[in-house]
Amino acid sequence: MNSKLFLPNLWRFIWLVAIQVIVLSEASLTADGYCNVLAYPLFILFLPIQIPTPIAVFLGFLVGMTVDVFTGTIGINASAGALSGYTRAIILKRFAPRGEFTGKEPIPSPEYFGWRWFLIVASIFFGIHIFWYFSMAYFTPVYLFAKILPQALLGWIFTMLVVIVLTRLFHPKI
Amino acid sequence: MHSIIQLFIRHGGLLTLVVVEVFCFFLIASYNPTQGQISEASWTRYSGTMLNWKRSFLDYFNLKDENIRLRLENARLQSQLANSRIIEVPTLDTVTRNVLADTLENKLIRPEYQMISGRVISNTIAVGNNWMIINRGKEDGVEPNSGVITRSGVAGVVRHVSDHFSLAMSVLHRQTKISAALKGYHYFGSLVWEGSNPEYMSLTDIPYHIPVKQGDTVLVSNYTLLFPEGHMAGIVDKAYREPGSNFLNIRVKLSQSPADINTVYIVTNRYAAELRQLQEEVKDEQ
Repeated sequence: MNSKLFLPNLWRFIWLVAIQVIVLSEASLTADGYCNVLAYPLFILFLPIQIPTPIAVFLGFLVGMTVDVFTGTIGINASAGALSGYTRAIILKRFAPRGEFTGKEPIPSPEYFGWRWFLIVASIFFGIHIFWYFSMAYFTPVYLFAKILPQALLGWIFTMLVVIVLTRLFHPKI
Repeated sequence: MHSIIQLFIRHGGLLTLVVVEVFCFFLIASYNPTQGQISEASWTRYSGTMLNWKRSFLDYFNLKDENIRLRLENARLQSQLANSRIIEVPTLDTVTRNVLADTLENKLIRPEYQMISGRVISNTIAVGNNWMIINRGKEDGVEPNSGVITRSGVAGVVRHVSDHFSLAMSVLHRQTKISAALKGYHYFGSLVWEGSNPEYMSLTDIPYHIPVKQGDTVLVSNYTLLFPEGHMAGIVDKAYREPGSNFLNIRVKLSQSPADINTVYIVTNRYAAELRQLQEEVKDEQ
């Protein structure tokens, strides 16, 4: 990752973690887990397209762990973040434009690929992330239908709204 | 080394993911009380199952040793059982021996039988006189004229002994004559093989007034030196009286099928020589 791409990603890291731990995670506490908005995976999604998968996995782990440290849930967000670093690579490969990524598009944002493409990719990406997050939070398949799936569905809807708002506001290009 | 790097380039993401996730599971279970309890409970349950699998897998390797141990144990228990029948059932008209065993002050228990476990390595059932070879011989303590039994019935009589093997006359032999009695009666007769069906023998010399029914048990009687008395021999299959005969014709289904003999116990009667000598004394006067 050259220095041109480094700083924007660092900024995204800091701002997304800040928004997550100061606003979103606090809000979810008051709603008893039924309004769990996870915006920080946007950092993972907006990593450079050409980044090697192991590094994406590690950075996912890192951003999740940072959130975990502030919310006191050591390992839960980190696990989901690491998984997202890996699924992101698979999703991007699956939804690659005709003729592969050329390198002209540094990050998978709607600026380059259009909103339709971005919404599909982000939906799958955040869906997996949030499902895994709740699986780790309950840590037992006993609650799969009673808690994990309904909470993940609600959290996914709210998260997608926040993701759309944030992307509209900041129009990330690099 | 080169191939390891190649492997990492191709599957590096997945490998990193697995390593990181394992680390995360460890973190989750260590730093979150609820998840810690869940993982501990699951761990206990599944590790128990895993240990059971491991145990049953390893048991396969011990089966052979275990089998030998069990045979030795069985031989010991069979001889205990055979000996205890004599001591604990004094009314079973074994007057002489029981009186001796029970009333002499200095001889409370006098074990009479010893068992040597062995395997049948050759066996026939189809010809007129059938023989089997057992993998125990003189060096193992087998003597000629010892009975051969199995867990569930009688198998034959040892006739010839070499150093490591013994040749036993199967029950399916025209010379075989086993002193047997019906359970509950003291009348005794001889079990002989008529040379046809290898599953059945005939019990002779039982008087016709005995109400023998199908399903009655036939035991080894106490008049034989070859087998432990009271050992199961067979079950009455059919009992009828020939017109004009004073004895019943009894067809006995052997409790140990001669076609299905594997592990056997060779019975040694410690007093056999002594008793035979006594019988010799009166032989001329008969």
